[in-house]
Amino acid sequence: ASSHLSPTRTLSVSQASAGATPAISQSRLSLSQLKVKDMAGAKGVKPDNAKKSAVVTNGEMIEYYEISGCYILRPWTMSIWEIMQTFFDAEIKKMKIKTCYFPLFVSNNVLQKEKDHIEGFAPEVAWVTRSGDSDLEVPIAIRPTSETVMYPYFSKWIRGHRDLPLKLNQWCNVVRWEFSNPTPFIRSREFLWQEGHTAFATKEEADTEVLEILELYRRLYEEYLAVPVVKGKKSEMEKFAGGLYTTSVEAFIPNTGRGVQGATSHCLGQNFAKMFEINFEDEKGEKAMVWQNSWAYSTRTIGVMVMTHGDDRGLVLPPKVAAIQVIVIHVPYKDADIKEILSACSATVKVLCDLGIRAEADLRENYSPGWKYSHWEMKGVRAVRRDNAAKIDIPMDGLVDKVKCMLDDIQQNMFNVAKQKRDACVQVAKTWDEFIEALSQKKLILAPWCDEEEVEKDVKTKTKGETGAAKTLCSPFDQPQLPEGIIIVHCALHRGNLPRNGRTGDGVIKV
Amino acid sequence: MGALRLPSLTSIFAISSSRSSVFLRRSKQLHVRKFTATTKVFAQSTPATEVAPAESNQKPPVQEQGITPRSQDFNAWYLDVISMAELADYGPVRGTMVIRPYGYAIWEAIQDYLNVKFKETGHSNMYFPQFIPYSFIEKEASHVEGFSPELALVTVGGGKELEEKLVVRPTSETIVNHMFTQWIHSYRDLPLMINQWANVTRWEMRTKPFIRTLEFLWQEGHTAHATPEEAEREAMQMIDVYTKFSYEEAAIPVIPGRKSRVETFAGADRTYTIEAMMGDRKALQAGTSHNLGQNFSRAFGTQFADENGQRQHVWQTSWAISTRFVGGIIMTHGDDAGLMLPPRLASIQVVIVPIWKKANEKNEVLDAASSIKDVLHTAGIKVKLDESDQRTPGWKFNFWEMKGVPLRIEIGPRDVSSRSVVISRRDIPGKPGKVFGISMEPSVLVPYVKEKLDEIQLSLLDKAKSFRDSNIVDVSSYDELKEAISQGKWARGPWVGSDEDEQTVKEETGATLRCFPFEQPQGPKKCLMTGSPADEVAIFAKSY
Repeated sequence: ASSHLSPTRTLSVSQASAGATPAISQSRLSLSQLKVKDMAGAKGVKPDNAKKSAVVTNGEMIEYYEISGCYILRPWTMSIWEIMQTFFDAEIKKMKIKTCYFPLFVSNNVLQKEKDHIEGFAPEVAWVTRSGDSDLEVPIAIRPTSETVMYPYFSKWIRGHRDLPLKLNQWCNVVRWEFSNPTPFIRSREFLWQEGHTAFATKEEADTEVLEILELYRRLYEEYLAVPVVKGKKSEMEKFAGGLYTTSVEAFIPNTGRGVQGATSHCLGQNFAKMFEINFEDEKGEKAMVWQNSWAYSTRTIGVMVMTHGDDRGLVLPPKVAAIQVIVIHVPYKDADIKEILSACSATVKVLCDLGIRAEADLRENYSPGWKYSHWEMKGVRAVRRDNAAKIDIPMDGLVDKVKCMLDDIQQNMFNVAKQKRDACVQVAKTWDEFIEALSQKKLILAPWCDEEEVEKDVKTKTKGETGAAKTLCSPFDQPQLPEGIIIVHCALHRGNLPRNGRTGDGVIKV
Repeated sequence: MGALRLPSLTSIFAISSSRSSVFLRRSKQLHVRKFTATTKVFAQSTPATEVAPAESNQKPPVQEQGITPRSQDFNAWYLDVISMAELADYGPVRGTMVIRPYGYAIWEAIQDYLNVKFKETGHSNMYFPQFIPYSFIEKEASHVEGFSPELALVTVGGGKELEEKLVVRPTSETIVNHMFTQWIHSYRDLPLMINQWANVTRWEMRTKPFIRTLEFLWQEGHTAHATPEEAEREAMQMIDVYTKFSYEEAAIPVIPGRKSRVETFAGADRTYTIEAMMGDRKALQAGTSHNLGQNFSRAFGTQFADENGQRQHVWQTSWAISTRFVGGIIMTHGDDAGLMLPPRLASIQVVIVPIWKKANEKNEVLDAASSIKDVLHTAGIKVKLDESDQRTPGWKFNFWEMKGVPLRIEIGPRDVSSRSVVISRRDIPGKPGKVFGISMEPSVLVPYVKEKLDEIQLSLLDKAKSFRDSNIVDVSSYDELKEAISQGKWARGPWVGSDEDEQTVKEETGATLRCFPFEQPQGPKKCLMTGSPADEVAIFAKSY
């Protein structure tokens, strides 16, 4: 008898269905195949979308739905979301940020309040125009984000410096009616997120919080989802509409050579405060405007995790976010005392659970152990197998320690592997030729950069092609040393080789 | 630039015509009296979605003023509590609301408890899209009939007219069944038991914060079973979970029972409910659990192959509790002084108010207060230290009473030297609720505070129970029923009346049949309306 950990690899679609009962496997297969076909058939959909779709449906993570771009988040996904939520919510509560809930519905004049802001969102808004049998006098929008819903209340609630800082967060759904290729988790028309909105008396406080939140986002990705990210500042072109500056964590998917924005933490400056008249009386009795931040991460995080740890053969879940970290499967054989095996399995689960490991037993007798291995591996769970539970060959204490160690190892290993892969894709480009070359090799490019909108637009235009246009992801906080007199790539190209002091930016293909 | 348009009370909370003039006068006073205190000036508004602009950007200083006494005007009191205790504010669209952190914390406490119970009883959380194709809603005939007047429809998205209009979910039975049909194939896939925490929309005309809003938050459980017995057991199990929650956590002595045919959920075979009596003796339906039978599975073709390979339709349930429950807590326990929260759902269970007069006293008092705070916090008690020097202790006492914090600890210079504190209970006003000289020693203080919190929890339940029982009248004739209802009480009597009889009661008395309680008196009975032999008693009451 032995207790072993199955390989962290999951199985392909065909293998996974081998042991299943025909009814289930066929329907599941046909469903996912159908959807894959749908996805690939849609114009401009890259094969990796289709692949990911198969992973997420076979892993029972999401389900497609009649309305394009709307997905059903199945229990497996929701528990990942809930684990992240538990971590993040506790952390921001430590920062004295409070939870609240603002309405889903926004009237048009509220939505229109901040012009730059709404220009970015207007094309994606969904409108309620009817209630029951009658038309509404004025259509009502469904929130694409809540700045304009919340800030009138900030104006109402904040009067003196003692009302500051005001720090709120809400967990909710938002709707952006996009027409570009919907992709599960990454681009869906409705998604779940948290949105934090805070107001401070001073810019320094706002600046500090922006980075504190960004660090939490880094931890979510790196410590929970085992996805390496780069922290940095967005270019002028890519920053949040209406804000002062935007910071983000950026992930990179080596297979496709694409960057993915993981989460954003914005300093809004005083622009919204001006529009919404969010003023306060400072300690000297003088009227001043607040400094604001907003920050968010969404169910997209799960998509980034799937793309990082999934491949042709399936998905592997980092133990920290797996709803079930260990599955105990009994392997009955002839002459064995079934009862004794079952009770040993239950005892094992109990011991593991008592020590904070999320363990479950799959004691269903109508499925074979082989089917169960496939089933649970496809869902990304590691199986602790007990071949003969009549004899307990590992002392329970030893088992628990060993399992804990293994889970930690797996978590760390997944991050290391992902980081190695990512790092292998990082390419420093100092000239436009090097830049183009690196782009064609699907690299994550580090290049000196002037951060001028015109130049960035030009880069986009010039790189539109088979691989898709490149855009800046961020200017990483962690900057490499630049040699003296470095020439900025695009400035060098377009402005006659004028040497200027450059900052480094990641130029990367658009997601 | 004018400030943002916010709706006034009058436009949001329309009330029945008989009382409207009183209400309008009342609420206008209110709105000037209360809301200038905390908001920009509200102007007259139109009943449309767009509300009138504010005319002034001035922020008047916060005025010191009390809440309308509950005994004087229950509705005004309720709105005052919500506003002054900072539970909620009015949303920018008619009939919507902003749930503020102090109000949201109550909802979080409800979620924390129920989420664990749901998982213990074998349910998994998931999330279904908010948009439902209109054709789905139409599939179950009585469902569409029940919900269609309240549906919000999205017809434009991303600047284009949509091909099919989309319903903003009023409840998710239809989309859930659409998916169950794809996920359920054989008896091995059953039972399928899921839950989601979500927002739902019902385009109601008459709204009231927490109690009835266009959008509200809830949990909705949906299950599918192989047999009708299992579905029935599940529906009963969940109404039990709700009942237990109400008694033990919310200290609300709800009456669990079965709804009449008239009041049964659109599309259900049977609806179970928990009915709570509010402080004005109106009934509040605080949670429901439906046995859906095969109505939705037949409409959506949700079938499974049983052990003999026969195709059968699944048997289903659905059940929900919403942010309405927060309104129920306010209206059950609150008093003239404001909100009163049951300790188990309070986000602040204990508030510490330090008292000092001279500057040299401040430090030692604050030091002692914050070490008490640490001790209680470490012991798992939700504690807040109000150390601001902007307000007097007296102001703080009133403020935290109004916010419904169950226990208050006072500590002054003399207490510091005697190493003791003064503890006051929110549920017992004045001197009788105040105990002096409780030792600061953690070994004494912590168990004392815990014991008091438990006592308050029980005492709130007992008080609500005796209030409820003293306001339920057993009736044996329609005249007695009318009499009880006209006194504002609940009437309980034998009932086998028809749907039309029930309608008559509603039209003539304003009371509806709340439920046939599970707990039934023994012995032969005759229907209060028809005089025919009756098996059960029913409860009639006016309701929210």
